[in-house]
Amino acid sequence: MSARPAADEAPIAIIGSGVSGLAAARELMHLGFDATVYESSNQIGGMADTQRDPDGFIFDTGAHFITNRFATAIGIAPLCRTVHRYGETVWSDGRAYDYPFGLMRNPRYLRGAINARIRSKRSVETAADQFRSEYGSEIADEVALPLLEQWSGLPADRLSPAVADKLPGGILATLALKLSARATNRAVAIGYCREAPQSANVWHVYPENGIATICAALTTELGDAVQTGNPVERVLTTDGRAVGVVVNGREIPAAAVISTLPVPHLAALTDEESLQPFRELRYRAMVFVNIMLRGCDVMPDTLTWTPGVEFPCFRISETTRSMPWLAPTGSTIITADFGATVGDSTWTEDDQVLEEMVLKALCAIVPSARRDFLGSRVLRSAFAYPIFDLAYEETRLALGRGTGIERLLSVGRNGEFAHILMEDSYWRTLRQVRALAAQLNESVQN
Amino acid sequence: MISSQRALETQPACCCICGTRDAEPVGVGEDFEYRTSPDSFLAVRCTRCGVVYLDPRPSMNELETIYPDDYHAFAFDEARFGIVYKARSRLEARRLLKALSGLPSDARILDVGCGDGFHLDLLRQSGPNGWRLEGVELDHRAATIARQRGISVHQGRIEDADLGQSRFDAVMLIQTIEHLADPMRALKAIQRLLVPGGLLLIVTDNTGSLDFAIAKRRHWGGYHWPRHWYLFNASSLKELATRSGFETVDISTMTSPVNWTYSVRNALDDWGAPRRLVDFFSLESPVALAAFTVFDAFNTLARRGALLRAVFARAQSTEEPLES
Repeated sequence: MSARPAADEAPIAIIGSGVSGLAAARELMHLGFDATVYESSNQIGGMADTQRDPDGFIFDTGAHFITNRFATAIGIAPLCRTVHRYGETVWSDGRAYDYPFGLMRNPRYLRGAINARIRSKRSVETAADQFRSEYGSEIADEVALPLLEQWSGLPADRLSPAVADKLPGGILATLALKLSARATNRAVAIGYCREAPQSANVWHVYPENGIATICAALTTELGDAVQTGNPVERVLTTDGRAVGVVVNGREIPAAAVISTLPVPHLAALTDEESLQPFRELRYRAMVFVNIMLRGCDVMPDTLTWTPGVEFPCFRISETTRSMPWLAPTGSTIITADFGATVGDSTWTEDDQVLEEMVLKALCAIVPSARRDFLGSRVLRSAFAYPIFDLAYEETRLALGRGTGIERLLSVGRNGEFAHILMEDSYWRTLRQVRALAAQLNESVQN
Repeated sequence: MISSQRALETQPACCCICGTRDAEPVGVGEDFEYRTSPDSFLAVRCTRCGVVYLDPRPSMNELETIYPDDYHAFAFDEARFGIVYKARSRLEARRLLKALSGLPSDARILDVGCGDGFHLDLLRQSGPNGWRLEGVELDHRAATIARQRGISVHQGRIEDADLGQSRFDAVMLIQTIEHLADPMRALKAIQRLLVPGGLLLIVTDNTGSLDFAIAKRRHWGGYHWPRHWYLFNASSLKELATRSGFETVDISTMTSPVNWTYSVRNALDDWGAPRRLVDFFSLESPVALAAFTVFDAFNTLARRGALLRAVFARAQSTEEPLES
């Protein structure tokens, strides 16, 4: 490693000890910088949290996708197992269709999709336009848009078309990857990373002990640079440049500040005018109702989208179809995802009522669900997905160009306000951190 | 499956030319050949220099683990490799003598990373009698084998080796530079050891080759996971040498069946092919080696051969040796 020019600069302050914050700290350490990670809660991990049941069930908050490449980059590959298969289906008219190509077995959907392809493209201004022009009105109106609306909590004609990212590589590349998955008996990752290339050699893996393994591994290298129970109360700026943070009422100078907070929270920590518009950006909350059942492979596939009105949730996954080690042998975990707004009736609903709602709906897919029921556990995430509301589209796009404050980065899924999965978030964070490091080195040399 | 093997201790790496970590992921793989650890490894490419390197890579105190006792460079002998040994010996002797043809009859020549002394032995047998041949080898097991062959070997790193007062007329790095922790430091050390105008011959795996383009995501034989830490194409190798105080005499590509053979072998092994099929692709398999030699000869004609062969000369303009 090349030596850095001697600098008497203060450490870099990092806000949040989730995957992005810890990855940023580790990269800075590798680049020869001092960094301190401030975590408001008493445990590391942020959104990558794992809970264990005494009976041996492992619950992670929400769905996470990890590839062998990402696991290798952060040094946890030996702690992960290969995911041999992963698939998604759509439950419609009482049966499961493979997603996305299986939907084409329905002649109406096929006709609509073909028409959409050959029709001259109209201008696309909303997510509703985008889905209709990409997949045809039939699939859009009956499948995609109802899901999108439950998921985001807004009508699709009020959402940015940017929520509908296309499959990287297109249809032929996707088919080739699907074939390679079958040939290699590995769940080849398709559409889960845009920052690094897809290939037959990049597949899903998952930590044996759940998602918390990632942050635990990242932290071992960092030692006491991670300070839990230390919320950042203010971000200090001078002349449009971040210069420090306030923690426990104490001002701490910083060479730069890297925030992984939801961006409205970051904006609330400063007086900087230019950041204030970001306070209007909103996130969708999610309630995850985990149902423990006897049996295994009870759902049609790992993830089942449920656009029908008879389902109170928008998707139901059987994580253990892909990661069987997360439940004791002979049992499984079914997770129903509910879109919510913090404080609304879904968010505050009693756990037992949620459990009953899911069991009732689940019986349509798994008739024996009640008989095989073992218990449930409800988890909640207040910042599950950014909502791409057209009302603040300009502000969202402005954030994509940076915070506008020198030496202040807003990184990670919540910090970037982006629909990105863990690996993309990681590569993007590294890139931003390296650019910041180069900038700091340059200023020392000058 | 979670392995019971011990995971390696690793450390972060950076580009050996520009010193930054501005890199993008290229491939991910495992030690398909020796299975010395349960780890997988990531190869990244410097977005500035094009150097491909392992990040993270095994730390220095894992060398004994990742170079097991049966490692081929320690034990490439006629008894085990038969006709392949004979063919390779003849071919490599011819190549070496061609590269070193302008040297005086009493030239002092150093082979850095000489392994079991294979190349020095070839020069001793087929070069002028007056050539003074020496080797440097970090691994004590390989150094011992080379000494048993009657070759003078300095055990250690080139940067630290005590090689006496007189300088060398030529230094060879034959399939060595990719194993080094700091290639620029090694090249600068070599630069100081050479007489002005002295030659540096480098042979290394070529990331500009067709087999890299095809298999770079995982199975490329040239990764030799996790033992090859820095990998070059013609332009990045030239850049490294230039910055280390050398002038380029010639860079070309060279035919070799080894990486092709291992690329196929690694893929078959990774996909769980029958053992007999996997073992058909090995250094002990003359048929596979011959077929890929012919195939790679065509790639060499298109300047995309499996190996890079570069001859550099210590820059005449550099009066004073470079600082390390």
